[in-house]
Amino acid sequence: MTKINKSLALMAGVAGLAMSAVTATAEMSYPALAPLGEPPIPLDNKMSDAKVELGKILFWDPRIGGDASTACVTCHEPDQGWAFGDSLSRGYPGTVHWRNSQSVINSAYLGQLFWAGSAASLEKQAPSAAKGAVAGNGENDVMETRMAFIPEYVKRFNDVFGTENPLIGDAWAAIAAFERTLIVNDTPVDKYLAGDTSALTEEQVAGMELFNGKAGCIQCHNGAQATDENYYNLGVPPAERWEDDGLAQVTFRYELYAKGVSQDMYRKLKDDPGLYFRTKEPEHMGKFRTPPLRYTLYTAPYMHNGSFWDLREVVEFYNAGGGENDFTDGTMAATKSELIKPLGLSDEEIDQLVAFLEGFSGEELRVEPPVLPPYEALASE
Amino acid sequence: MKISRLKSGTALTVGAALMSVTVLAASASAEDMAIGPVVGPEINAAKAELGKRLFFDKRLSGDAAVSCSSCHQPDKAFTDGLALSKAYPGSKGFRNTPTLVNTTLAANWFHDGRIGTNLNDVTRESLTEDYSMNMDMRLMQERVKQDPVYVEMFKAAGYGEPSNGSIRKAIPEYLKTLISKGSPFDNGTMSDAATRGQALFEGKAGCIDCHSGPRFTDDQAHNMGVPENPEIWSDPMRHMTYAAFAQFMGVENFLNIRQDVGAQIIKNPADRSDVAKFNTPTLRELKYTAPYMHNGMFKSLSDIVAFYNTGGEDVPNLDPKVRPLGLTFLEQQDLVAFLEALSGDPLTGPEYVWEGEISTNYPAIENWRDVAN
Ligand code: HEC
Ligand code: HEC
Ligand code: HEC
Ligand code: HEC
Repeated sequence: MTKINKSLALMAGVAGLAMSAVTATAEMSYPALAPLGEPPIPLDNKMSDAKVELGKILFWDPRIGGDASTACVTCHEPDQGWAFGDSLSRGYPGTVHWRNSQSVINSAYLGQLFWAGSAASLEKQAPSAAKGAVAGNGENDVMETRMAFIPEYVKRFNDVFGTENPLIGDAWAAIAAFERTLIVNDTPVDKYLAGDTSALTEEQVAGMELFNGKAGCIQCHNGAQATDENYYNLGVPPAERWEDDGLAQVTFRYELYAKGVSQDMYRKLKDDPGLYFRTKEPEHMGKFRTPPLRYTLYTAPYMHNGSFWDLREVVEFYNAGGGENDFTDGTMAATKSELIKPLGLSDEEIDQLVAFLEGFSGEELRVEPPVLPPYEALASE
Repeated sequence: MKISRLKSGTALTVGAALMSVTVLAASASAEDMAIGPVVGPEINAAKAELGKRLFFDKRLSGDAAVSCSSCHQPDKAFTDGLALSKAYPGSKGFRNTPTLVNTTLAANWFHDGRIGTNLNDVTRESLTEDYSMNMDMRLMQERVKQDPVYVEMFKAAGYGEPSNGSIRKAIPEYLKTLISKGSPFDNGTMSDAATRGQALFEGKAGCIDCHSGPRFTDDQAHNMGVPENPEIWSDPMRHMTYAAFAQFMGVENFLNIRQDVGAQIIKNPADRSDVAKFNTPTLRELKYTAPYMHNGMFKSLSDIVAFYNTGGEDVPNLDPKVRPLGLTFLEQQDLVAFLEALSGDPLTGPEYVWEGEISTNYPAIENWRDVAN
């Protein structure tokens, strides 16, 4: 079952890629930054207060997972930018993850989830998070059965979905609906772009000009979401933990094994090949999805493996013309984006750009944690 | 239930095989079924030594919290002393943990006999099943590869590089070493009471009809009318673990039943005639393995003998061999003495137990970038 789902998602993913490639090469002007607006709501998963509330409880509930220890919120902590504040995310107990935990804020706008875009919707993303061996490590039938022993879930699922007992697919739909409420679209940048010229400082406005001009950020971070949802290799260096942390080395090899690369690649790879996992095309090695920039003030560290600890480090990285990894120097491939080159920004300009990036974040979004409903014995037959 | 899950790589193909229970015992010759000492198979020492370490290593479970030996404890003849077993964190068990002594000689495994192939498949099941160890075997392989002690031991065992396939070979090799020895029955040192008990066992009490052969089992399932353990249905964590199992096994109405259907899941006869049948357990090492029966409902051997003596409960499809036996109180005591004489030396020495520390930390591979994965 799992495998079939994965290959369908893969096909959908590839089709999506081909389309975005066409628009990207069509011409040299880029969609301007714009106020974010409201997220798209899929027709087959309409929003309702009851569904969102249910999704919220599930997001906090570690019983949606293997050993009932690791909920979505464990790696997407509201006080860590709804992400996890370490280079590589914490993993399921006994493991460490191999990528940086992404914020779930504004994930509702994205057409391709995860650093390498392997999930095509939030509804499809949630199960792979809950089931992956280094994330939730849960099993559908177990998670579904657990919910049947939580009377409050039985009632809530019945109210929202009309089923006699909770179905695991509906749990993913409810979680997705909750995530569609984790929206930050009123940042200073949004207000400015909507016409409120007082929303940004002069320094930030200067930074925006650099973003759109000399620094060339707009080439990829464009449109209302500040991402073209395309894939690039910037030369982000490989995670340091892979070199000196046994637990991280275990997960690194596990991912190569689990994602199904060739024996030869399994032996040779020492860096995360990103998009390559999905397409197995050598020219996709080391490429990751352009992330949206809103809320990044709260989501350090940055990049797919958390290489950088603050936004200034990120901008300095770009200013130096990006970096080197196993897919830039020809060791495994040479796919570094030609758009990434030394920018010649002065210290002052760097400050301006950082100030502008900070304007993409606004207030922190906090919610009242839900109370988890208890298990109860089923009435006898 | 992880049989279906491709986490375990090749598990799907096994699913079908799991269901075809071998009926070896039925065709076994009368000679095979004679009672006597247990003769173990040949053992490859290096492979068994490796299997021993794996058996005691918690890193073989998803969250590195349980090893095979968490439930199969050497000083209890590889059981856990509980009526119903523990489980992987987040679940609770719904069956009694059986002994692993002599399990290498069994024809099928688990209380319902649902695995009839070999111990490699039983090991896979134990590792990947959500409520036992919940292990993604690909992750297990990479964990084992990270431990230099294992890298050496796999080489010494002739397996080359550690792989999940050879893990599932090494553990059964270790299980081959768990063979009963030194019981009064085998040594010819039984008390008079036990000797009288043996005569009853083979005669008036008719126990030998099912408890035959060196392991004292016909490897067949029977409905003995053992009462349900109410805790499975009153403790939601146990009930949900059973319900998820039953759902996976295709049991209809799995949320509404309040009965462990036992071997019914294997062939699923329409008349439900296999409901509540459970495998005849070995009678060796009973001294160490209380409580008894598939659900731990009996605390002592005298309770069991008293139960048999009454002819059991009036339940549908009760095995016709369960009938009032008319044993006197003294005869019952003799029978218990015989059962006790079937327990041997505890398998608790270093041949059977990995006594070294097994660190749950993984040393980093030095110059990682320069060596092949
Ligand atoms: C063990 C930590 C962990 C757990 C548990 C976890 N996540 Fe994640 N999450 C991550 C990491 C790490 C990533 C990035 C992984 C990648 O790209 O391969 C991620 C990515 C995501 C994304 C993609 C965001 C984007 O910008 O593309 C979403 C959405 C998400 N998680 C939601 C969830 C939900 C819902 C759950 C619970 C069902 C969950 N996560 C459980 C660590 C975790
Ligand atoms: C060629 C396309 C491209 C250009 C040009 C570009 N980026 Fe990026 N940006 C990306 C990609 C792709 C990533 C993720 C890379 C990775 O993780 O390996 C990224 C990551 C980031 C991040 C980290 C976000 C996070 O959540 O971790 C920030 C901040 C950022 N970029 C800001 C900028 C700024 C500022 C500029 C201009 C100086 C810029 N980017 C130019 C594609 C681009
Ligand atoms: C959480 C407790 C637990 C753990 C851990 C565990 N087992 Fe078991 N084992 C059981 C229970 C309970 C049964 C009976 C299950 C049933 O009948 O459905 C069993 C049955 C067995 C059997 C069948 C015995 C028979 O006579 O039918 C074998 C063999 C076995 N386990 C080996 C292993 C091995 C090898 C491991 C480690 C890879 C392991 N077990 C881990 C609890 C456990
Ligand atoms: C019809 C076959 C049959 C006969 C006859 C039979 N048994 Fe059993 N015995 C079983 C089965 C099957 C079980 C397991 C039942 C269960 O768990 O539900 C069992 C369980 C036991 C157990 C529990 C062992 C353990 O490890 O849990 C003991 C002790 C036992 N029998 C002793 C006897 C004695 C003594 C006699 C004769 C009085 C006898 N049996 C006759 C089939 C039989």
